[in-house]
Amino acid sequence: MSKVVKGFICGLVIIAFVLVPACRSKKTTPPKVVPAETAESVPPIPTMTTTETRVTNPPDFVQTETQSPRVTTENLPADIEELNRVAQQRGYLQDAFFAYDESTLSTDAQSALTAAANWLKRNAQYNLLIEGHCDERGTEQYNLALGDRRANTAKEYLMTLGVDGSRMRTVSYGEERPFDPAHTESAWVKNRRAHLVIVGR
Amino acid sequence: MTAAALALIVTPLYAQTQIQTSIEASKAANIVRVAIPWPDTMLSTEAINGPFFAPLTRDIAGSGVFAIAPVPPNIPPNADLAKSANAQFVLALRVTAEEQDYVVEARLLDTTGAMQFGKRYRGTAPALSRIAHMVANDLVRALNGRPGIFLSQIAYASNRSGYYEIWLMDWDGANQRQISHHEALSILPSWSPDNDRMVYTSLGRGTSDMYIINRRGGGRIRLPTGVGLNTSATFSPISNDIAFVGSIAGNPDIYVIHDDGRNLRRLTTTTSIESTPEWSPNGRQISFTSGRSGTPQIYVMDAEGTNVQRISFEGEWNDDATWAPDGEQMAYTSRVNGRFQIRIMNLVTRESRIVAGEGSNEQPTWSPDGRWIAFQSNRSGRWQIYRMRVDGSDLMPLTFEGENKDPDWSKKAE
Repeated sequence: MSKVVKGFICGLVIIAFVLVPACRSKKTTPPKVVPAETAESVPPIPTMTTTETRVTNPPDFVQTETQSPRVTTENLPADIEELNRVAQQRGYLQDAFFAYDESTLSTDAQSALTAAANWLKRNAQYNLLIEGHCDERGTEQYNLALGDRRANTAKEYLMTLGVDGSRMRTVSYGEERPFDPAHTESAWVKNRRAHLVIVGR
Repeated sequence: MTAAALALIVTPLYAQTQIQTSIEASKAANIVRVAIPWPDTMLSTEAINGPFFAPLTRDIAGSGVFAIAPVPPNIPPNADLAKSANAQFVLALRVTAEEQDYVVEARLLDTTGAMQFGKRYRGTAPALSRIAHMVANDLVRALNGRPGIFLSQIAYASNRSGYYEIWLMDWDGANQRQISHHEALSILPSWSPDNDRMVYTSLGRGTSDMYIINRRGGGRIRLPTGVGLNTSATFSPISNDIAFVGSIAGNPDIYVIHDDGRNLRRLTTTTSIESTPEWSPNGRQISFTSGRSGTPQIYVMDAEGTNVQRISFEGEWNDDATWAPDGEQMAYTSRVNGRFQIRIMNLVTRESRIVAGEGSNEQPTWSPDGRWIAFQSNRSGRWQIYRMRVDGSDLMPLTFEGENKDPDWSKKAE
């Protein structure tokens, strides 16, 4: 019977948080996006005696109303520009970089977006603008379309990580706003990105 | 007004002696030589040359119909002058001031002294360059049967105000003026077939939106399409349709919408990136760029989205296709040895040639008579707009201030 319960909870974990590679039999890491109510909706099993598989919130899982305002207002600046600087500086929001003429996510880009997703889920009061950027080597018109695809690829990935799509919007700048205006390979690497910008509550 | 006046001062003046034409020898037989002596006038050289005589002689020299014959000194503008200048015609001009107006009389005399063309024009001082272009247009029509292009306009994007905004200039680079005022990135203008309106993209609202504006900068409307991106918009030459790049969830495709925002249709349905639509002159086909083969290449489809054919095969990046007015040639941006160049393809034979130039050269646009191509180049270190004949000769920079790009030549000759 307890096997069934374990299996059921593990199943929830997999469904809710697809990136966790496998269930662990003991001290199961709880899913970050499953609210406590969902876990409680598991049919009660009277004979269950063990507490080994009890799902508890992880320390960084800001779920209750009493916790979230304290975490954000105390540590994060109110000014949105300052907040963006701090968020980039501390690595809360990391941009996703792309290969030349590519819009698929590298593993580096995926881990950058995973970090961003974790922060965004903890700070649900903020909305996100995702800007798609390209290097100067392409043509303006095609690059506008490529930038659109890059921004949306990042958005969709953040959605699979549990960030609500309605909090995010995208815009393509193509090659119009390079981060590094130099005409060098190292500048081009910096300029091919999905740039994450907090745009307020 | 000050900005426009400054632009005129910055633009180099072209005295008559600097005017040259470089027509290929094979075509030279059809070129009519015309002598254009200084106008009969009591007005100062300054009042006449910059605003009137210089643009008129520039137009005549660039007409492809006339060549300017050097004028021997001290001969009155009559049949004798034509003979001694070894010209078929003399253009006799008279400019007088009547109260607030200038009156221009233009007479085209042949070697017998007979008047082949004669017309009076009247306007205020700011209209003098317009009168010059009208005289040139009328002369070309008189000899060629087709109107000249000297009142056509080139729309473009310039960042000289601090942001890229939509600007307009005359065909010779004169009269540069700002049309849009979003104080935000505003790019890729495209003319309506009646030369009255332009459609373009602006990020003024933080999203990428399509706008329509009239040529005087008024009547601006935003055209909601219901999809994202809204770039590379271009008017159909035969209907009220606008083709553009729309995107849903990061899949840019070619869409068409009425200019009143109704009847959105999606023409391409692949998962690859599509961009840069352009109508054929008869409105029956649309060229576009697609990454479906792995690199951006030029394709053509019927205006309903059917019958897709690949056009470009050379090089690993081609974009910005634009049809010549006769529909038989296409110019596009083609990467050659790491640099973008203007490539001109004959759509019948599918043979193409590069019009080589320094730097990167992009976004070609044809003059309404198909004799000229304007494009953007960064050969000076900054993006500027240039004009050349289709064979690459008579290259002339048109912009000098700030950075300038996305040229689109108006569709009608006048």
